[in-house]
Amino acid sequence: MQRYSGFGLVKHAFGHHENWERQWRNPVPKKRYDVIIVGGGGHGLATAYYLAKEFGVKNVAVVEKGWLGGGNTARNTTIVRSNYLWDEAGRLYNHSLDLWKGLSQDLNYNVMFSQRGVLNLGHTLQDMRDIQRRVHANRLNGIDSEVVTPQQIKEIEPALDISSRARYPIMGASWQKSAGVARHDAVAWGFARGADALGVDLLQNTEVTGFKIRDGKVLGVHTNRGDIEAHTVGCVAAGNSGVLANMAGIKLPLESHPLQALVSEPLKPILNTVTMSNHVHGYISQSDKGDLVIGAGIDGYLGYGQRGSYPTIEHTLQAIVEMFPMFSRVRMNRQWGGIVDTCPDACPILSKTAIKGLYFNCGWGTGGFKATPGSGHVFAASLAKGEMHPIAAPFSIDRFHTGALIDEHGAAGVAH
Amino acid sequence: MSNLSVSNVREFNTQPEGNPLVESPLAWSYRHHPAPRGNGQHAGVVLREKALLGHLVLRGGAIALDEAVRQTLGISLPSKPNALAFDDNGERSIQWISPDEWLVIVPGGEEFALESALRKALGDAHASIVNASGGQTVLTLSGDNAREVLMKSTSYDVHPSAFPVGKGVTTVFAKATVILRRPSETHWELVVRRSFADYCYRWLLDASAEYGIDTQ
Amino acid sequence: MFYIFCPYCKEHREEEEFHARGQAHLMRPADPDNTTDEEWGDYLFFRNNPRGIHHEMWVHSVGCRKFFNITRNTVTYEILETYPMGEQPTITADIPSVRHEQGVQAADGGWQTVGARPESKALNEETSS
Repeated sequence: MQRYSGFGLVKHAFGHHENWERQWRNPVPKKRYDVIIVGGGGHGLATAYYLAKEFGVKNVAVVEKGWLGGGNTARNTTIVRSNYLWDEAGRLYNHSLDLWKGLSQDLNYNVMFSQRGVLNLGHTLQDMRDIQRRVHANRLNGIDSEVVTPQQIKEIEPALDISSRARYPIMGASWQKSAGVARHDAVAWGFARGADALGVDLLQNTEVTGFKIRDGKVLGVHTNRGDIEAHTVGCVAAGNSGVLANMAGIKLPLESHPLQALVSEPLKPILNTVTMSNHVHGYISQSDKGDLVIGAGIDGYLGYGQRGSYPTIEHTLQAIVEMFPMFSRVRMNRQWGGIVDTCPDACPILSKTAIKGLYFNCGWGTGGFKATPGSGHVFAASLAKGEMHPIAAPFSIDRFHTGALIDEHGAAGVAH
Repeated sequence: MSNLSVSNVREFNTQPEGNPLVESPLAWSYRHHPAPRGNGQHAGVVLREKALLGHLVLRGGAIALDEAVRQTLGISLPSKPNALAFDDNGERSIQWISPDEWLVIVPGGEEFALESALRKALGDAHASIVNASGGQTVLTLSGDNAREVLMKSTSYDVHPSAFPVGKGVTTVFAKATVILRRPSETHWELVVRRSFADYCYRWLLDASAEYGIDTQ
Repeated sequence: MFYIFCPYCKEHREEEEFHARGQAHLMRPADPDNTTDEEWGDYLFFRNNPRGIHHEMWVHSVGCRKFFNITRNTVTYEILETYPMGEQPTITADIPSVRHEQGVQAADGGWQTVGARPESKALNEETSS
């Protein structure tokens, strides 16, 4: 792998930047691998990377029906935070946040992780009670989180309307200073390049069309480029997880919904941080290009179309203008939708299944991006050892029958 | 059994004796948001309130209700979806709201007597009558540009071919819920909930401004 | 954006008047005292999530306020039919013509493939390996 550095940049400038190596190979599928990862998005690539790097499993294929990082990884609003209520979720997301901090160095790839902080606004007394409770829980789990007053909010984010004339006046917020945003594509590309360099085969345009299962054990996958064998298969396919589960004849408690987001025309720097509000139901940040990056909740119906409905967009922008009246004349540039796999308790599924060797990592719903490195790391550990990693274990699919749900609807909030 | 259900009904007249002061849900709006006076201009939109009418919500089976309504009001129950029927002088109306629900609007003060009469006529039939008079008010829109104002405000098709006289629908109006109906060629009626009244009224003032609005 | 025919109002209305309410035809366990944790979990949390034909419940919340069912394709978003509560769909993923057009959607035995043409033997039948 060609290492990236300032020196390299200067060196390549003399060659008019025409001699850069391709970031990853485009290999022909082998007949057999130790592990197959289905899904070449951020989580799948991170899983492959950590399998090869930390757990010594290098004979790995990532099978992707489209192109790398072309699904929700390319469509999300890139918020990274870990201020979740319950111990299990706090551990998972905080593990991820720890990995984010050193990720650019680790991958030798600038993922542009910017710890600009996240505000979760409260507009009612009940909001404030929930925020207090969550902040206390966070602090007990070693997550940096604090309650801030409207005056402190105004110092952090001067563009917010904190006046009492607002329809839903801001009463306070929780503030996680170490949270932030990252560059979504770079995360996928960085993991892909790292995994490829360690010998992982990244198989693009390779669609899984079925599973080879015998006597309750997975033996491989059928693809449009022929059968590939492996005794360990990890499915990391976000919105399409239900489709894969269907092929394997198992049922997952997931519903795939459209989730929309939009960006505005580029503006001069105006937002310092990420602002989210569960109550007026929207969130916003500003990208390094200057666009306002805006999102809110899912469309209420099932949808694999990667598009949603206009009333949802309108509702989202109403929320933004409610919080930032000064943005009422900002024009929107682009709007898109992804397919999010929502779980009944707003927590993911990292689990073995009834079929030996077949694992699922799914159900991240609207907030999987923040967990990309952590999810990949603990899932890789689980695949390598055949036993779920202690951080991943509580997210077993069994919880929907035992009742040990991890209800994060409050912290998941708007959409994560 | 059947007697029990009748005796369980508690009726009371929501209009107390002695003519105390009553105000329409829009009284506050009239004081704080007076409409621009038509300074000699032609008004494209004429907005009026039919305040303090009697509103009854009837629920139950169509057959039993039809008989009771015919006996007491002399109108047959509109059985087709989105239909609106009037009595001969156009003062009393009954509108299809859902397959088991109708809205009766009568001149203010008649509603309690009507409710009692309906209950009597219904006898043991399984039905419910709710006096919603205090909860909503009626606005009428007319004028050359009334339809343009509606087109700005609702996604429902208000073209005469889709919305003939004698039709009424519950729909979205500027994000609020209203019952929109067309009693005559020239007039539209909006049945607005009390909590939305000020908002809808001010929306109408704003949406009509470009055509000129007459509110008095 | 949907333009939905309400089977009670008997006309098409804008999506804004409706709310989606999840999978249709769910049955609460008939004998709650003798229902296992497995069955309760399935009833509460596990839903059909097909890529293709789906039957779902909607409510005409700004309108007649009645619940009804829609048969819809979750990929193209095409609404195939709407029908009142208590009735069964006339279009399902198992009808041969739909099966042919949309591909097999329900797996059995772990061998079938969602979206596969039913005549494709290689994908839908077990091959020796």
